[in-house]
Amino acid sequence: MIHNTKYKLTIGWLYPELMSTYGDRGNIIVLQKRCEWRGIGVEVLKLDLHFNLNQLAQCDLLFMGGAQDKQQKIVSEDLMKKRNALQNRIEDGIPGLYICGAYQLLGRYYKEAERTIIPGLNIFDLYTGNPGLNVSRLIGNVAIEFQGVNSYSPSRCNHSYTLVGFENHGGRTYLGKNVKPLGKILKGFGNNGEDGTEGAIYKNSFGTYFHGPILPKNPEFADLLIKVALEKKYGSPIDLSPLDNSIEMQARKTIANRLNVEL
Amino acid sequence: MFNFFLILLGRSIVLVSKFFNLGNGSTWPGHIALSINKNFIRDVLRNSKVKIILIAGTNGKTTTAKLIRTILEYDKKSLPAHWRVFQNAAGANLLNGIASSLVLHSTVVCKLNYDYAIFEIDENTLPLILHEINNPDFIIILNLFRDQLDRYGEVNTIAKKWEDAIRHLLSKTTLILNADDPQVAFLGEKSKSNVLYFGINPANKTEKNQHASDSNYCPNCGERLIYNSIYFSHLGDWICKNCGFEHPKKTFTQSPFYPLSGTYNEYNTNAAVLLAKLNNVSNRAIEQSLRVFKPAFGRQEILKINDKKVQIFLSKNPASFNESLKTIANLNANNLLLVLNDRIPDGRDVSWIWDVDFEDFSSQFKNITVTGDRAFDLGLRLKYAEFKNFQTKKNLAEATNVALEKTLKNETLYILPTYSAMLEVRKILTGKSIL
Repeated sequence: MIHNTKYKLTIGWLYPELMSTYGDRGNIIVLQKRCEWRGIGVEVLKLDLHFNLNQLAQCDLLFMGGAQDKQQKIVSEDLMKKRNALQNRIEDGIPGLYICGAYQLLGRYYKEAERTIIPGLNIFDLYTGNPGLNVSRLIGNVAIEFQGVNSYSPSRCNHSYTLVGFENHGGRTYLGKNVKPLGKILKGFGNNGEDGTEGAIYKNSFGTYFHGPILPKNPEFADLLIKVALEKKYGSPIDLSPLDNSIEMQARKTIANRLNVEL
Repeated sequence: MFNFFLILLGRSIVLVSKFFNLGNGSTWPGHIALSINKNFIRDVLRNSKVKIILIAGTNGKTTTAKLIRTILEYDKKSLPAHWRVFQNAAGANLLNGIASSLVLHSTVVCKLNYDYAIFEIDENTLPLILHEINNPDFIIILNLFRDQLDRYGEVNTIAKKWEDAIRHLLSKTTLILNADDPQVAFLGEKSKSNVLYFGINPANKTEKNQHASDSNYCPNCGERLIYNSIYFSHLGDWICKNCGFEHPKKTFTQSPFYPLSGTYNEYNTNAAVLLAKLNNVSNRAIEQSLRVFKPAFGRQEILKINDKKVQIFLSKNPASFNESLKTIANLNANNLLLVLNDRIPDGRDVSWIWDVDFEDFSSQFKNITVTGDRAFDLGLRLKYAEFKNFQTKKNLAEATNVALEKTLKNETLYILPTYSAMLEVRKILTGKSIL
């Protein structure tokens, strides 16, 4: 157990100004507070437009939220120039959480309704297609079964649990062979509303359509990100001290009850 | 002339509906009229001399409509012409709500014996209503903030729809735009109509950046805007150094009197007063009428419950929640009831509460009770903003009682609810429903 210790994390928040439309900031607040409450030093680096690559090198954990189309285009242009640096960090196993537009951007490409193909960063083996304005967006509360499958620290994936959130996306994402889904849909649509998958896991990076935001009501998942980041940085297994999650569980239960999903 | 039949039918429905307590008929009659004659709105307005005022924007529509009505109706006492005003029911701001108000206010021979019609219009409905009412006399556009993204989509999507709808207006229409909101001010750029701007008095108004800020990029060229000062969210004194698009110079900012607290209500009041001035209402009449103004339901409305005062501040999106918190903090609020619902009128996605700057108020209030369909989500938000003294109760009636009990005699309980929560809490407090 650790408290008030030598541990310190630097969280890189990619494009907080442009990619932060759906309460995504909540994820950063949760990561930050759950570190602080355990005495883990934490610094949030805001990596806005034209950020410096040295800043990316300092980060132990990355986060990027969703955005409006116009903003997403601006970001995508900037990030294309930094693609290799980001890919190196992701391949090297830096933990990260990428929501909605950010998740799509990490894939191979995004095909617009008019069939224009926008190239992605090509880091995650997946692609997204948008069937157009005449086809409904996938909107609503959503629950998945999350199997914490990962190779770095087997101790942390000994059980599966339910994650809840809210999805709102027009694009349909299809996974390739080199990524695993984040979880199996219990209720809701997920990646494409067809194959029962939601999100993607590649190395220690997680992509998802979950707003809500995802971390406040899913504190184990928040702790997983913190734990992986610390283990990766300090090179040894780490057990986080427990926190009181009672409001978190009640908030999650509200959604689970609505969706008729057991926790 | 079968619109005559539709009006009679609509009226009968309202009577039946009221009789059986099914609601006050603010949308049904219009819904039926439109499904039988899709040109109903156009037909009724075709030969009418009534001046039409449309009010659009994310926040402040109902309050602004009530301010305008108060001023115009008050003035009829001092003028020989009798100014008769009608409006659509608050919240009934889709096409069916507009049609209903026409049903209720026309004579059976389809005549509107009124001088002014005030219609508050839903964001998505503005293009549709401009299709029915080609050149309204006035359109007020108050602001554009992120709101109910699951229903309205993104801010840019709405802005684009408005731009397309407004482009076709002719000079018969006067556009009254918020100069401090860059997306809204931009609507005036390519318009052939008569464009006027309102804002607020910038003296001493510089505030820190708020997180929930949606339009910090130039609507003309996409470059980041420079703000000389920010009033709240993305409203302020802005300029684009790249393409030169800048805050309109001539902006109306001086109402003789402000009946409601909060910066956001300075905007609503200035918009209403500018419109009144364009209709030749005297300064004196404006001031006198504003002094007797009573707030619309749930918009800073004050209720007396035994010997305690309750004041309701509808708080439905990050911009309005931030403004409510700031305003009640300035009023030295001690007792707070926060109500978060996620029904269709509230938006089903509650992610937006994480865009509210609760962190700025963590030690501001003494008693806080949190409730609503998503009580625990809001409780969680307060926990992470490091609020210490709050109680979370799922049941609204119970939470309301607890909050009232904790409020001392002669103190005020401030209630900040989302839309459906506001209707519910009002019903609990007053014993009757309004919509």
